[in-house]
Amino acid sequence: MLRCSGWMASFLLLAAVSIFGNDQQGAAAKRPGEQLVPRIFELLGHPDREFRAAALETIRTAARGAAQTEAFAAQLPKLDDAGQAALIIALGDRGDAAARPAILERLGNSKDESVRSAALLALGELSDLADLPRLIRELTSNSAAEQQAARTALVRMRGESVAGKIAAESMNAASNVRGRLIDVLAARRATKESAAILAAAGDEDAQVRTSAMNALGQIGRPEQLPALLAGVLKAAKGGERDNAERNIAEVCKRIENEDQRGEALIQALGTIDPEKRDELMSLVGRVGGKRLIRFVADIATGTDAARRAFGIDALGKWPDASPADTLLEIAGKASDSAERRQAFQAFVKVSAIRDNRNDQQRLERMKQAMTEARSNEEKIAVIQRTRTAYDVESMRFVRPYLEQPEFRQMACETIVELAHHRQVREPHKTEFDAVLDKVIQLTKDDEHIERANRYKRGQTWERKK
Amino acid sequence: MLNQAFEALKKFDFGTPLSELQAIEDAVVAAHKDTAVRGDLEARLIAALATDISRDAKDYVCRKLALIGSGAAVPSLAALLSSESNAHLARHALERIPGPEADAALATAANSLRGKLKLGAIASMGARGGVAGVAALAPLLHDADVAVARAAALSLGMLGGSDAAAVLQSAIRSTNGAKAPLIDALLGCAESLLRANQTDAATAIYQSLAGDQQSRLIRLAATRGLLACAAKA
Repeated sequence: MLRCSGWMASFLLLAAVSIFGNDQQGAAAKRPGEQLVPRIFELLGHPDREFRAAALETIRTAARGAAQTEAFAAQLPKLDDAGQAALIIALGDRGDAAARPAILERLGNSKDESVRSAALLALGELSDLADLPRLIRELTSNSAAEQQAARTALVRMRGESVAGKIAAESMNAASNVRGRLIDVLAARRATKESAAILAAAGDEDAQVRTSAMNALGQIGRPEQLPALLAGVLKAAKGGERDNAERNIAEVCKRIENEDQRGEALIQALGTIDPEKRDELMSLVGRVGGKRLIRFVADIATGTDAARRAFGIDALGKWPDASPADTLLEIAGKASDSAERRQAFQAFVKVSAIRDNRNDQQRLERMKQAMTEARSNEEKIAVIQRTRTAYDVESMRFVRPYLEQPEFRQMACETIVELAHHRQVREPHKTEFDAVLDKVIQLTKDDEHIERANRYKRGQTWERKK
Repeated sequence: MLNQAFEALKKFDFGTPLSELQAIEDAVVAAHKDTAVRGDLEARLIAALATDISRDAKDYVCRKLALIGSGAAVPSLAALLSSESNAHLARHALERIPGPEADAALATAANSLRGKLKLGAIASMGARGGVAGVAALAPLLHDADVAVARAAALSLGMLGGSDAAAVLQSAIRSTNGAKAPLIDALLGCAESLLRANQTDAATAIYQSLAGDQQSRLIRLAATRGLLACAAKA
């Protein structure tokens, strides 16, 4: 690179002044290093955000060293709240612990939520374990923004011992804090701290248990299945149990081989009190797989009626249609009407699942179900589920039921649902327009009329949330 | 083998497998350690350029001379600068061959050629780098052809350094035309000075461009430069 000769440097300075005025001359005469802090301070108040960003980027990345950091941090009291928040975030990103006293001072004394939130975030970046109790305390701050900032800080804190400290704190924390600390451990992917999370899965507080199961769904390992199943049983029936089962199913999915997955779950079930084991059949259904079908089918066709109900329920929750034949067989042989009803409904449900079969295969299952249906209720269930086979033949299958009053409304609904799919509707527009006209005549639901008219016009429809 | 490859070069054209020239490739590698091989190979390549080989064959030769060429190859390459077909690869070679001969050849072409070929020669002076191009590029800043003046400015920006900056600042003062390319190039010079730790000189340039009379983007660039200078000092 060229060196700047003496006359050339003088020329540059003179040219600068003569071309663009001399308002900068005084500043240019100073040593550049002396100008950095005041220049940045000036820019932090600039009305243009790009100029402010330039200053903040310099704080983040340039002029390393504790002295410069302290000089930047010393500007905090001179800035307005927005400027303070921006500078604190930049100081955090800079990662120099020399900024910590100033940040703590602002956290303690500022009355502005954005400044305090920024301070919490910055403490996370500076990763001093001494700040851990403060950050944990702020998880239950009155301010949602500060709660979120504290959580983010705890997730981002660096250091090998951080997760361990958080796990230890979680063991003794109040319920409302414990659940949040478990969330943090999951977000940190703290797999080494699974003992603390598993312990939380057995907590007396439902929120803590739910947090723990959610965490285990994210970072749990298949070898932990026995402990995880105990957590499922601890969950209250209903939404919490449902959530726990979904998370454990996620853990099971981490075993790629279907048979091995089923075997692992069966072995884990072996560790559970036999009296409670049947309660977990629903979970077995969620996991699915051929190995587990045999296991559940034995229960669903056994001699104990109560156990059969658990088994049929499990088969009805299968993630694909593989237990369809088993369910149809159970429905066919059932002597009890309630059991027949349960098994047939489960058969129709799994037959309609949009798994890796094509739409024609799904429709064939619906046709089979209609043949086997013994009551109007069962036929209505078939008409309803036929909407999952996205094919014009599905519409043709359902269309005749428009003529039968007892099935008419469900047929209207299913035809409208099938017409929703442009790729089904458009290639057969004339046929669909005609059947939608019929739906408009027959349906009692104003929404179906609106949808039918939209589809006839080639428009789409957004499902209400 | 090398003889066969040079025979193949006579018939080389678009679509010919490069494997037929493998011996030349091998010789280029060997030339980096053996000056005798290098001299012989360069002479053969120069001689090939003077023959009636195809455009693609000449391009190939230019690429090889870019790797092993010396001042001896410059006249043959300079002769191609006026050729629409081969000027690009000739410039590719001249940008990389060390020594004043290539500087002079590009400067001559930048003054004598017209149109795109002239712009190409000017751009190559910038790509080549070094202080030698500044004196040749300075007069072109005042060329009546706006494209030529702009190309000269951009090349001076690529050359960077104090001398190029001084020329650009002088042109900014005197021009009645567009200042944007000159300022853009001047910012390039400031960046080069900053990289070379000449922060005082870089600061002076950035200061000159940070005033309110400049557009927002120029002021922003100058501000970023000033911060970088201050942080580096």
